[in-house]
Amino acid sequence: MENIEIKRAVSKRIKCVIWDLDDTLWDGTLTEGGGERLRDGVYETLKLLDSRGILLSIASKNDYYAAMRALKKIDPELPKLFLCPQISWRAKSVSVAKIAESLNLKMCNMAFIDDSELQRDEVNFAHPDITVYDASFASKLADLPEMQVKFITEDSANRRNMYISDMKRDSAKNEFAGSDEAFMKTLGMKLQITAVDESSLRRAEELTVRTHQLNSTGYTYSYEELTSFINSPSHVFLIAGLTDKYGDSGKVGLLLMEDIGDAYLLKLLIVSCRVMTRGVGGTLLNHAIKLAAAAGKSLRAEYLETEYNRIMYVTYKLAGFEEIHESDDGANVVLEYTKTDIPEYPPYIEVEA
Amino acid sequence: MDTQERIVQFFVQKNKYDENLKYDTDLLKSGYVNSLFALEIVMYLEKEFKIKIKRRDITNENFSTINNMSALVERLIK
Repeated sequence: MENIEIKRAVSKRIKCVIWDLDDTLWDGTLTEGGGERLRDGVYETLKLLDSRGILLSIASKNDYYAAMRALKKIDPELPKLFLCPQISWRAKSVSVAKIAESLNLKMCNMAFIDDSELQRDEVNFAHPDITVYDASFASKLADLPEMQVKFITEDSANRRNMYISDMKRDSAKNEFAGSDEAFMKTLGMKLQITAVDESSLRRAEELTVRTHQLNSTGYTYSYEELTSFINSPSHVFLIAGLTDKYGDSGKVGLLLMEDIGDAYLLKLLIVSCRVMTRGVGGTLLNHAIKLAAAAGKSLRAEYLETEYNRIMYVTYKLAGFEEIHESDDGANVVLEYTKTDIPEYPPYIEVEA
Repeated sequence: MDTQERIVQFFVQKNKYDENLKYDTDLLKSGYVNSLFALEIVMYLEKEFKIKIKRRDITNENFSTINNMSALVERLIK
């Protein structure tokens, strides 16, 4: 047997591993009497990945109820480890797409492990950016460089639970008849904005590394630089935690401003993609406008265009920012808040700052 | 279908349509459009009308009403 990975890029960060069941997660084939025990090293791998905040899911061609029963029989706690398992007879590429959509992840952050070359090829052909592994990697996945995280933060260890409450919220939203704003009012959201301190610094760093869409500049700073902003008199460095009636979403927003004399300059505005539809970006921006006004300064924001972060430009423009400077190549922009009125926080979110 | 109707179709698709939505309704003030939906509109217009919307065209004015979006699209098609 060939022990090779089909495709692997070390620079990739895997945020979700999707498992085949038969002869990959467990020994044997369920329909032929297998599925009674996990393959060697799989349980340890699952636990390690879960503790790092890497999500786990399933894409298997089996009967859903029979497969879930088998998982539960192996270990009653096992089914809880997997988010939106896709167990049906349809093509695995379709199951994988469904998982990516439900978890709001990009294919380049997903991995798929299966003993069948045919299945790996089918998935990889439909999703060229996904990383695929042969089942022989099952016990070694946690050792691969793309599965490493620098720190295990409180948020990473809780990530699975946060996704579960996210999914409950999403299904409530799908059943809700009114507007998005009316739905948000039912959530009882609270945004707690605090200064970054030693205990939240790692999560702050994690946000700068993990977030691509809702990231105004994509600047990354070394841990030492981030530490220096905490005590710097010329920086405002804030982190925001979001809770609502479905649970604690953890620390989801980051704001870094530099005092440049007559103005605050927004260097970082980052919001976790998990809370994309809940108005956190606009609220944090409101907060920055209030802080600048209270300090008697104008507010400027750097925007560095990337492949993914166009939404941040739209966020700034809708909030009343205008471009005042553009770099020669056009990719680097400074915007300034041009309105004189101080906006209110959105009515659906309670801000504690 | 004219341009305005095609834009309204997108609002219908995205479940953002109601009978109060007119071609000249201020979408930003009335809360129909937040930044996420605005971005979805930008991407929809680009695909539907095969245009490229540059940064300088992303202004509150251009996206404040369906009429204004339609005018932007027609200007960019030419």
